Amino acid sequence: MALNRRQFLIGAGGLAAAATTTGLGACAPGAPSGSQGGGGEQGGKTNLALAWWGNPTRNKNTEAEIQAFQQANPNITLAGQPGDFAGYWDKLATQTAGGQAPDIIQMDMAYIAEYGNRGALLDLEKTGADTSKFVEGTVDSGRINGQLVGVNAGINSAVIVANPKIFEKAKMDVPDDKTWTWDQLSDVAAEVASKAGVPFGVVYLFGGDPMFGAYLRQNGKELFTEKDVGFEPADAQAWFDLMMKFQKAGSIGTPQQISEEGSPGGGKPIDQSAIVLGKAALQYQNSNQLEALNAASGESLKLLRAPSLAGKATERKAWYKASMLWSASAKTKNPEAAVAWINWFANTKEAVDIDKAERGIPPNAELQEYIRPKLSPAQQEVAKFIVDIKPELASTPIAPPPGGGKLAEIMFRYETDVLFGKASTAEAAQKFVDEVKSNLQV
Amino acid sequence: MSAISELSTVHRVKAKTPEEKRLRAREAARDNKAGYLFLLPWLIGLVLIVAGPLIASLYLSFTNYSLIQAPQWIGLENYARMLDDPRLLQSLKVTFIYVIVGVPLQLVVALAIAMLLNEGMKGLAFYRSIFYLPSMLGASVAIALIWRQMFESDGLVNQVLRLFGIPATTSWIADPKYALSTIILLHIWTFGSPMVIFLAGLRQIPGMYYEAASVDGASHWAQFRRITLPLLSPIIFFNLVLQIINAFQAFTQAFVVSNGTGGPSDSTLFYTLYLYQRGFGQFQMGYAAAMAWLLVVIIAAFTAINFFFSKYWVFYGD
Repeated sequence: MALNRRQFLIGAGGLAAAATTTGLGACAPGAPSGSQGGGGEQGGKTNLALAWWGNPTRNKNTEAEIQAFQQANPNITLAGQPGDFAGYWDKLATQTAGGQAPDIIQMDMAYIAEYGNRGALLDLEKTGADTSKFVEGTVDSGRINGQLVGVNAGINSAVIVANPKIFEKAKMDVPDDKTWTWDQLSDVAAEVASKAGVPFGVVYLFGGDPMFGAYLRQNGKELFTEKDVGFEPADAQAWFDLMMKFQKAGSIGTPQQISEEGSPGGGKPIDQSAIVLGKAALQYQNSNQLEALNAASGESLKLLRAPSLAGKATERKAWYKASMLWSASAKTKNPEAAVAWINWFANTKEAVDIDKAERGIPPNAELQEYIRPKLSPAQQEVAKFIVDIKPELASTPIAPPPGGGKLAEIMFRYETDVLFGKASTAEAAQKFVDEVKSNLQV
Repeated sequence: MSAISELSTVHRVKAKTPEEKRLRAREAARDNKAGYLFLLPWLIGLVLIVAGPLIASLYLSFTNYSLIQAPQWIGLENYARMLDDPRLLQSLKVTFIYVIVGVPLQLVVALAIAMLLNEGMKGLAFYRSIFYLPSMLGASVAIALIWRQMFESDGLVNQVLRLFGIPATTSWIADPKYALSTIILLHIWTFGSPMVIFLAGLRQIPGMYYEAASVDGASHWAQFRRITLPLLSPIIFFNLVLQIINAFQAFTQAFVVSNGTGGPSDSTLFYTLYLYQRGFGQFQMGYAAAMAWLLVVIIAAFTAINFFFSKYWVFYGD
């Protein structure tokens, strides 16, 4: 044999060592993440890094906005760092760990407390961020521990999108969203699914946290309080029971179909979601995604309100969600320049001329009026919807505390357990609350 | 070895006066310096890329480190918390099933294909490359994506089944009962690298053993049992050790097939995937580092057990 014992030991030992150590090395901190990040000043000019996640349209818009901003502020140069949502957070975490966080950061509600509570974000108000013209209820979502660490970049609302073609096929009317209850939603969804022959009456309804949040608020609870979970296992159980009721009625597909479709944002890209492929009559979504859905499906989908317990839209405890926010790194070398971008984006016509409603409806009331005629038909529909639901708004929910950003993912996992009969709704609800709580403690 | 020791003996005999000794020592020091200089590139790599991060991760495993704030020393708390973590148990279960089922099956397939290829067929190099290809691709994101689409309810697998009149609508990746099996299947499919090593090993077995056995009337099975297996056992052992170590660290397939969730219902929550979720998803890098060290201990234990039992079945020709 060519391989004797000693050669074998040397070879295998070396390879084994290499294999295990590479795995460990990957978990080390402070690995320099390339040349990006970190602001600096050269010859009187300030260089700032600007990071965002998005889609091709947003990337193009943001590049154009950077150009326009630099023309208005010749002393500031912005270096863009585009990314996609999933990879964005890993990158931001490693950059922050290495002290190389981008100066200006596009932030999400799920993560803002994670960074804000740990002192990684700049207090924007102190540095001169101007939100004086913002619509009521759009500023506070960016406040952590009393500090404004994120400025709303666009208003959103959790909606149910309907495909009128599928309702037509089922010979049904699109339901009246001002009076419908959760039970009526289930009935409509079951009926349209069976009559039109599509797998899903309504999809994504239970997988995401906004609809759970709406349900909780209508029951006098919240997803989160300042430092804790805002609901009891019994509330979660009621939600899981509701899901099983929907499932048994045939409103949301089979367990396998639900599992395959995944959770909103955690599963398929939006252009391959069920409503786009004609497999669903109704789908939970954020309002700013209407245009993308229309473009991908070639339909003109309709926006519907989330249902209420009472059958009255005015009692559904709606809220304006920040589709995303602008934050700045606490370590930026030039806080004024970072805030200059944020103010420019939030309060100038030049910015909104480019962005339109791609990041959501502008929170600045004057700009809202200004831009409406210039919007595409789908965006106009969204803008109208955002204004229409004003009487239905209740208090703005607070951002999830650190560790709370994974609530939706955890919830969907336990829902899958329930759907496949691996746990009762009571067991799953208890474990769900326990796990979310244990994440918050750390 | 022996040549060097002879040389040093010669030196020792020659160096009699103190002056000579000093000269010798200086020469030796210069030789050493040159040696270290040649080693330097490797040494720098080892320290910066392997040893440094390794020690850092050991340190981090005793801290609460959120990536955003500086690490805080918390002693053994991370390790204590692992005792009471149901998802950690689940991830260990998934990973053990994957290793214990996937690795032997993969090696059986690899050996079978290697023996087929060893029959001296035409175009061996071509077939070898073809069969090796999945190994190169298997860990890639693209293949994992294709895998996901193949095993969806409308995927290729079900479409083929329907051609044969089976009304298959099962979504293999979306049902907790089957999801892990599809990833084990992907692992088996990447049998190329152990196959190539097996092929090399088979080539080393002298043909005369088989000739002699045939003359004695030994069946093919007996030849395989009595000649191929014993003579190949060091190679089998080598592949087994390496593949187990690799399989414990499987990540990409599970990450892509389940969209990083380990779902459905944590049925594909591989250990490294859970580690990643803890570290980068939940900002608990200290806990993730502790998990990494637990994995080192597990892999070391498996390897030690392997080596312990190897003396009962591995046959070294020398």
